[in-house]
Amino acid sequence: MSEIALRLTDFYYAYPNSDIMLKDISLTVEKGSFTAIAGPSGAGKTTLCRAMTGIVPYYYGGRYAGTVEVLGEEIRGKKISDIAMHVGIMLDDYESQMVSLTAGEEISFSLLNHGFSPDEVDARVHEALNDVGLPDRENYQLDELSGGQRQRLLLASVLATRPDVLILDEPVSAMDPDGARSLYQLVNRIHKDHDMTVVVVEHDLNYLLPYMSHMVLMDHGEIAISGTYEEAARKAYHHPTLCGNLPELWQLKLGLEEKNGIALGSWRYEEEAIAELQKHFRGGARE
Amino acid sequence: MKLTAFTRLILVLAVTAWVFLLPVPAVATILALELVILLYIKRDRMTMAAIGTLTVFTAMMVVLQLLFGSKLYVALTGGLRMFVMTTAFLCLLASTKIQDIAQALVEKFHMPYEYAFMLTTALRFVPDFLSDSAITLDAQSCRGYSNRGNALKRLFAYLAVVKPLVMRAVAKSDTLALSMELKGFGPNTYRNRRPMKLGLGDYLMLLITIILCTYPLWSKKVGL
Repeated sequence: MSEIALRLTDFYYAYPNSDIMLKDISLTVEKGSFTAIAGPSGAGKTTLCRAMTGIVPYYYGGRYAGTVEVLGEEIRGKKISDIAMHVGIMLDDYESQMVSLTAGEEISFSLLNHGFSPDEVDARVHEALNDVGLPDRENYQLDELSGGQRQRLLLASVLATRPDVLILDEPVSAMDPDGARSLYQLVNRIHKDHDMTVVVVEHDLNYLLPYMSHMVLMDHGEIAISGTYEEAARKAYHHPTLCGNLPELWQLKLGLEEKNGIALGSWRYEEEAIAELQKHFRGGARE
Repeated sequence: MKLTAFTRLILVLAVTAWVFLLPVPAVATILALELVILLYIKRDRMTMAAIGTLTVFTAMMVVLQLLFGSKLYVALTGGLRMFVMTTAFLCLLASTKIQDIAQALVEKFHMPYEYAFMLTTALRFVPDFLSDSAITLDAQSCRGYSNRGNALKRLFAYLAVVKPLVMRAVAKSDTLALSMELKGFGPNTYRNRRPMKLGLGDYLMLLITIILCTYPLWSKKVGL
């Protein structure tokens, strides 16, 4: 099987009766990677996610050129529900994405539609709820769950299909910082436990700093910078508009490196940064 | 005795027939039974409110019939019939999950799955719609919306709440449609569920239903 999870080649897309939204997108997402997509509003991040799952152009229509491959196979002509079995997506409006009345039914909906037996469905529902930290909530009504729990439930409904790739479109936009950190911890655990490829659209990359292995920065419908996180972050630091998207810790790190001509470690947590800064700058002066 | 949604639906349909087939004392007995069952299943404020509204509505119907020249007995019987039929539906909704009703409708009554799914989805979005309407009302109140003045003025002012609410509902339905498409919504949605199996209780209840439905045929022979 291909070691590439997703590949977009020379992809262009315009929604019906609209200007071009994605321009000249060539992007490869490696299997097992954790990729963050960031960029200013209207940069085309959501449309890029939708292109990865075939929602554009096959659901919304519109004009397009180029190819999208999932696990080495081009998705042209496939049903989006079949693509979704390999590439699970959580849309930004997660509340409206839920179709059932109870947690168990929400998770089993997709599985039943794809012909899984009721016993297999029950087992997967149980496992998916455990995975997201909502054990034994099968019979809970959706309105009995909090906003954060609903989000976890939706994640469980995507995970139950055991996709190879998980795409999350701004999953924490309506959450408080603690809830956001907790959700990303969960996503990272799932990424590690199931060796799942994860792609996340996120405005605030501070949340993703501990986890992301790759980063894509978009601007005006194009990929401005992409690559492994460190490589992309160094390029972004010198970009006039995209440097503001970098995590604060890395803006500080790259600034210090440039100013003092030193090489600092690849910080992922504040503790690492504090320890290294104390080593280099003890007593307010560089040692 | 646990009855399937199919048997319960049949019972509700049968009650609709019984109110016309059975003598008035029997219909009154059914009403008493229904009320006992309903209050046994659910004794909350909503159920009481539903019964209260139904009583008011029935009284209005009786008064209207009297005004249009019907005899008191006819008007009361008409009101009783309507009350019994509606209470049967209340009992069904209070005792059965809407998902089971939808499955019974698709599996046993061969209703198209799209319509059955509409039933459950509509119910799924009622709380969301109510919460959206409260949020919109608050938001528009901050912008100067006021429901003071005469009825016409209030109606026009309310458009400021209705417009964004409708736009939001349309956006939500668009996401829902996309989500259903992603999840492969289709005939399998109901086909792959565990089939609804009728038990001894169901067969017994269906037998009683048939006997009561054929009452006009055998009642004369046995001299009732």
